[in-house]
Formats: sequence, structure tokens, C-alpha cells
Amino acid sequence: MSPLLEVEELRRSFSGGRTLFGPRKPDVRAVDGVSFTLGRGETLGLVGETGSGKSTLGRLVLRLIEPSAGRVRFEGEDVTAASSSGLRAMRPRMQMVFQDPYGSLDPRMTAAEIIAEPMTAHGVRRAEAMRRAADMLGRVGLSPAMAARYPNEFSGGQRQRIGIARAIALDPALVVLDEPVSALDVSVQAQILNLLADIQARSGVSFLFIAHDLAVVRHVSDRVAVMYLGRVVEMAPRDALYGAPRHPYTVSLLSAVPRPDPAKERAKARIRPIGEIGSAAALPSGCRFHPRCPRARLVAARGVDAVQAAGTRLPRACVEQDPQLSPAGGGAHLAACHFPDEA
Amino acid sequence: MTAAFELRGLTAAVPGEKGAVRLVEDVSLSVRAGETLAVVGESGSGKTVTFTSALGLLPKPGRVIAGQALLEGEDLLALPPEQLRRRRGARIGMVFQDPLTGLNPVFTVGEQIAEVLRAHLPISRREARDRAAALLGRVQIPDAARRVDDYPHQFSGGMRQRVLIAMAIALGPRVLIADEPTTALDVTVQAQVLDLLGDLRASEGMGMVLITHDLGVVARQADRVAVMYAGRVVETGTVEEVFRAPRHPYTISLFRSIPEIDAPAGTMLAPIAGSPPDPARRPPGCAFAPRCFAVSDAHGCRSVRPDLIGAGHFAACHRQGAIEVAA
Amino acid sequence: MSATAEQIDADAEAAARRRATFRRYTRHPGFMIGAIGIALLVLVALLAPWIAPHSPTRTDLMNNLAPPSATFWLGTDQFGRCVASRLIHGAQVSLQVGFFVVLISLSLGTVIGAVAGYAGGWVERALVAVIDILLAFPSFLLALALVAARGNTLDSIILAVAIAYTPRIAAVMRSVVLTIRPRPFIEASRAIGLTPWKIVLRHVIPNALPPVIVVATVSAATAILAEAGLSFLGLGVQPPTPTWGNVIAEGQTSITSNPLISLSAGLCIAYTVVVLNLLGDGLRDTLDPQMRRNTGKLL
Repeated sequence: MSPLLEVEELRRSFSGGRTLFGPRKPDVRAVDGVSFTLGRGETLGLVGETGSGKSTLGRLVLRLIEPSAGRVRFEGEDVTAASSSGLRAMRPRMQMVFQDPYGSLDPRMTAAEIIAEPMTAHGVRRAEAMRRAADMLGRVGLSPAMAARYPNEFSGGQRQRIGIARAIALDPALVVLDEPVSALDVSVQAQILNLLADIQARSGVSFLFIAHDLAVVRHVSDRVAVMYLGRVVEMAPRDALYGAPRHPYTVSLLSAVPRPDPAKERAKARIRPIGEIGSAAALPSGCRFHPRCPRARLVAARGVDAVQAAGTRLPRACVEQDPQLSPAGGGAHLAACHFPDEA
Repeated sequence: MTAAFELRGLTAAVPGEKGAVRLVEDVSLSVRAGETLAVVGESGSGKTVTFTSALGLLPKPGRVIAGQALLEGEDLLALPPEQLRRRRGARIGMVFQDPLTGLNPVFTVGEQIAEVLRAHLPISRREARDRAAALLGRVQIPDAARRVDDYPHQFSGGMRQRVLIAMAIALGPRVLIADEPTTALDVTVQAQVLDLLGDLRASEGMGMVLITHDLGVVARQADRVAVMYAGRVVETGTVEEVFRAPRHPYTISLFRSIPEIDAPAGTMLAPIAGSPPDPARRPPGCAFAPRCFAVSDAHGCRSVRPDLIGAGHFAACHRQGAIEVAA
Repeated sequence: MSATAEQIDADAEAAARRRATFRRYTRHPGFMIGAIGIALLVLVALLAPWIAPHSPTRTDLMNNLAPPSATFWLGTDQFGRCVASRLIHGAQVSLQVGFFVVLISLSLGTVIGAVAGYAGGWVERALVAVIDILLAFPSFLLALALVAARGNTLDSIILAVAIAYTPRIAAVMRSVVLTIRPRPFIEASRAIGLTPWKIVLRHVIPNALPPVIVVATVSAATAILAEAGLSFLGLGVQPPTPTWGNVIAEGQTSITSNPLISLSAGLCIAYTVVVLNLLGDGLRDTLDPQMRRNTGKLL
């Protein structure tokens, strides 16, 4: 059986625009050749820092943003080539939950109207849609008696439940969740994560779960993809990725997460990337992580063919060749690093 | 040893439709020189309001109705506004969550740091600029001597937060209050900024208050921790004590509700049902009672407000003994 | 059973909500003064034939420029017509102008502004160019030109003023829409598969309307002023039809001996402008559900 979602070499660059008198600014390659598949009932976690392109990728998959190149196939149909009415016809099957539970609900509509809207938009009669919206409130753990309330009368967690109810109202096969819990308080995050797990167990929906919080992503995902400057640099089943990360960026990300355990925190050796994430408007040559890579410095010091770059000596391969996502460490573990087996 | 900064019974309120609404109530905390106190709580718990109140920065119509805020023994809240303003910045520094809004986009970062210096010290423009460059170096901004003339938009989020930290420590404060200093930053940058704060605390011997919602940051950075819920401190102690054997049901539930990056796979999260109470409608008795797994009418959870009890490690719960046995 | 109980709860809550909304309006003093002031004016205009003591056009040259008396409340003008009756009938013209100008400019301006703001691209550039040209053209001059071309009937006055006001509404609407377009709920409605037209009608316009309605209410006041101005210049509704502008213009000849004529018409205009502005401010404060007071929001 073919996977639910197939993404091939997806790209999107935003034009850099022009300063008033200066030269044209370089294009920002927000998503720069990303491929992956997602099976039915599966959750793929997508992690990355600000500027990694993860949110853009989520929107490209649903074609809320037009891709510059590449292809998305969903349930065998080509999303990237669909006409605008063809795309609208696919929308009920592929939905989205947004990060901002305050901004993503129309403040002038009641909870029931918000949840009923996707149904009325796709041909359900209004009375029927409103009745089903009240049921949906119950399914996401709110009281159907709250149907007539406006978004500003709900807490952040309750609003996110409404956003989830809207997304699952038409029983989609895929939901893209863009940072669905990052705006919520910790005690409320768990409620929403459990709700999502419960929905998936009942309906078999697939999730593309975009987040920056590595602990949350580990908790919800079957597989995890790590993005850095528009590329997936590592993709693996969850336990493989968290247990034996292959890409030095993943290693430093995992090392940077503070654990809620004072003893572990104090004993920990930290592996820090140098500096900060670069800009997708000025991508480094070769491996885009090389200017920050602690591993490249170690490898170069050990005496491989090295060149002068980023103020130090780095392996020639890292500076000159762009590594492709390829098998590393067995199974479905992929990493885009020239030295994936270095510790 | 006296505390560098101490709050005693701080209570702040805003006028509401049915009388004063207490945003924070009877908060007592202290931080010693060279120590980091983490204040943990969710939005609305009063963790930020506590410190804006203590520094006389609570926006109108809110005001402090009781309590003291002692900076090396001197009550800030009893000072006339002009003197309080001189203490802020000079002897007590502040760093806030959003590194963008804290800086004025039309001045260079050097000018903004120099402005802080010149507001408190009789030094020339030139000297202020040189000291600003030195401060940028202290917060580990590469190439500080050149970047002192850059504008805020030329800095990344993490670098802006370093600039704000440089402004906060410019006058050698005894206490630094950092309100969610890394929440807006990415995890690798967060680690760098936390390292910097830890180094500065040690080298300057400052007392540091770290306001956060992230228990990982607390474990990493703090010596002692105070957990706030619905405007009160519900548990406080050393980080080791509170993390090893939390005593308040809220703290216990908080630990059970966060996904842990090292936990065995497939662990279910145990969320805390419901949401924190509206400050205007806090229940009588223990404010956590409606969401508490150990609530008991026989112990007065719903009628009597619990006091912070303990020695060294305190918790405000009627059921402390019983919970420790159960857990 | 529980479903019906919940239905009853929901209905009860909806009713309580309607009452709360109603209270929100009734407790706003500015809104109430404005609303009652306008209601009074509408009542006077509708009942003009019955409450006016005399015919507004009957002349009595034997009794011109009479001082106020029990029969002629505000005296008579130079043709001996009852000033009070003329003002009462004049309210009809003023209110019609205000109402229809707002109706036309609000409907056209809202749609033009919303389409320009939401569509972007060349559609926006073209519409903005038209709006800017019309805005840059002095609206009074535009009205003058239109009246000159079509003749000065009430219709053409209304049309002229409405055309002059439409770009203002459209410009305000577009700028509000520009702030709404990037809000996440607009993207959310694209994600559920709404057509662009439905997004504009169901999400963009309702959220953009409050500030636009406030502008429209205030435009009603300035439209009434514009009509008075045109009439005063003799380009408005032709005498002897009573309008407030005509009354001021006619009172001008005797302004030194009998200032009450022009003054009372001026006061009528001032009254209308003030109550409409109060109403507009009241609407601004009460229309937006986000602005409901909530102590919890302080944190």
C-alpha cells in the first residue's frame, strides 16, 4: 500500500526583495529540498529551531503556501498540481491545527459556529452542522453547553480544543499540527497531548507534528525528522533518533535540552554548537552546519584532509560537499552528515 | 547571613467589580548573594506580578497593599519614587522575556547601554561608550568593540538578550531579576544564555531570581526554588529537595504532567484537570483544591487556607504527611 | 436526556448573553445619549406634518421677520414663513441625506476596500489608485461638479455626497483589512477550504466593520453638513423646499436684525452632528467583543 503522504524534493524560496537603493537581496531558501513519507495512523515529528523552515514545510504540504518546486502526493492525488477547486475538494481530508489558540479562532463567531464552518463549507446543512458541532465539543472534552460562547471566554487550552475540533470535524486522514501546545501552560499541554493521542487511537488519523520542544516531540512521535536551515538533516524512528543520534546538530540539540532532574543536569557534559543558526538567505557552502559543527572540528584535529574555513580548520568534505540524507546506523535511520559514525 | 533581596508578606491587588482582586498574596521569598532562586508557575500564577510589584513597576490601577521588599535590608516600597528609580538599574537589575521590545530600534546598542551608565554615573560620553563595549565583551558578544555601534535589528534574538543582560549588569547590581529570559529563544541559544547568566552570577556574586515555567531550566540553573500557584507560594526549598520529594500536590502533578525527554517510551502523561482559577474567583480554602488529587473535606482543603509549613523545605498543604506516604 | 439538558443550558446561556450585550449598550452613557438623540430626530422628521404648527412653505408677507411668539415659536423669515416648521421639515431632508449617503458609501466602500485589502496584487494596486485619486480630489468640489451636471435635486445631492464619501470608507476598510489578513484565523479558514469570497464575507468584513461603522456614523454627520453647505451656496435642494442649509442661507439676509433664524438652523445641525458623534464613539466602545472588561486579562 502506498503511504498516505509522499513529499518529494519540496522547495520554497521567498524573494529577498530590494532595499531602496541597494542591490537585490538574496532569496531566502526557507525549504530547500525536503522529501519524506508519512503512513496511515503514523505521527512524524518535525523539530527544528527558529528559521529551520519547519512551519513553512507544514504549510507547503497543505499547499497553504505555494511550493517553488517539488511534489506532494496525498492519498495518491497530486496536491501540488491540483486546481484551486480540486484542492478545496481535498481540504476535508487534510487539516491543520495552529500554534496560536488566541489568533486562530475568529473572535466574532461562537465555538459551535467555528466548528461547524468546515462542515457547512463542504456541503453539510447548517442545522445538521451545528448539531454535530455540539457533539464535537463533547469529543474534545468541552461541554456542549459552551456552544454559544465566544473564543475570548475560553482559556488557552480550551481554545486549542476548539481548534482541534474544527480540524477533525470532517474526519481527516492527515492533520498538520503546527506547535499545537507551545503557547499553553505546562499543566495544560499534557491535556492536549493526551487528547491528540486519544483522537489518533480512535480515528487512525496521521499527524505531522511540528514543534521545537524535543521532549514533546519524543512523546508524541513514531518517527522524527530534524530540520536545519531548510533541510532535513536527520530522520529516524523515535527511539533510534533520541537514543543514538547520528547528526552532530541533533546531538547538540538533545544535549541542550534542560532535564527536570538536578542530579542529571549537573553531571551532564554539554555539547554546544558554536554560535547561532545562520540565515537561510546566506547558506554556508558544503554542509550547511559546518560553521557551527563541533564534530567537524574534532575530525579535522584528528588529521583528515582539512581546509581553512569558519576561522578554523575543518574537513574538506564538510566545507565543499553538501551531504545527502542517507542511511546511517541501520534500519530507517537517515542522516545528512559526512561523518555519521563519529561519536 | 542576610539576604541580598527579600520579600516579606507582599500582597498586590487591582480594583475589581466586587472589591480588590488580589493578584499576589502574602508572598515571602529571599535570595542570598551568589545564589539563584527560581520562581516557577504558570501564566496567572503571579510570578511576574510579584517582582514588578516589589520594584514599584506594577501597572496602574494595580498596587501593593501590604508587605516589604528588602534590598540588602532597605525596604524599596517605603522609598520615595525618585530614590526607588535610582535603586532600579543601579543595585537591582532586570532582564525580561522579549529581547526585541526591550531595545529601542533607533539607537545603537552602545548608545542604549551608555544611557543606562550615564543616568547613574558622572561619566563622559566617550567613557560610557568604552564601558559599553567592555560590557558587550563581558556578555560574550564576539567582536564587541565593533558591534557596539550596531543597531538592535542587526543582532539575533540570543544576541539581543545578551545586550539586555549587559544593560542589566552595567552598574554592578547586587541582585538580578530575570523574567523568562530564555523563553523566546531556541534551545541551543537558551543553553548559551543560561550558561552566561550562571557565569555572571558566580563572578559578580549577585543574587539571582530566575522566573520561569520550565522545570528543566530550574533543575539546571537554580539553588532554591519557589513554586507559585494562584498568587501564592505553595512550595519552596532547595532544588534537590523539591525535585526529589515534592510535597505540594500541585508540584507533584506538575512533574507528572510534563513529557520527559529521558522517560521510558510510551509513558502516559497525567495532566492536571481543569485550569487555574481566575484571580477574581479563587475558591475559599486552598486554591488548588478543585484540581487536587489529594483533596479532602475532612482536612479543611475547601474551607481553610493552608499556611507554608516545614523547616527548610516548606509546603502549603493540609495533606502533606498523607501525600508523602502515598507517593 | 443529558443532551436535552445541555441544550437547555446552552439556550439559557445564549439568552443571558443577549441580555449582557444589551446591558453593555444601555450602560454606555455616550451611546445612550447619541441613540436617544437620533431617535428623537427621526421621530420629529417622521411626524413633521403633524407636529409642525404651520406649513413650511406658506408665505405671509404681512407678517415677515416676526419675533418668536406662541403661534410662531421661532418667529418668521423674510417671506413670513414659520421658521420652526421649516426646521422640523428640514430634518427630513437632512436625515435622508445622512441615511442614504451612509447606506451607499458604506456598502460600496466596504466591498471595494475589503476586496482591495484581501486580494492584494494588481487588483489592490488598481483599486488603491482609484481611491487615492478620488480622495485627493476635494470632495466638495466633486459634489459641486455632480450637482452641476445632474441638476440640484435631492437625489443628485445624495449621490454626489455618497460618491465623495465612498473612497474614505474604502480607504479605512482596506487599512483595517490589511491588519486582519495576516491574522491566523484567516489562514485557518483557508485551511478548511473556504473560497476567497466566503472568507471575505464571513471573516474579513465582519471583523473589519466596527471601526468602519464608527467612521460611517461620523460621515453621516459630515454628510449632513455637506448638504447644508451646498444648500447654503444655493447648489443644494432648491428653495422653497425647507432644508437646514436653505434656512441658514435665507436667514443670512436678516442676520443682523434677526440672528435667531440662521442660529436656530445652525444649532439643529450642530445637535445632529454631536449626537451622531456620540453614537459613533459609543459604537466604537461597545461593538468589539474583545473589549469586554475582564479582570483575568490583566495578568
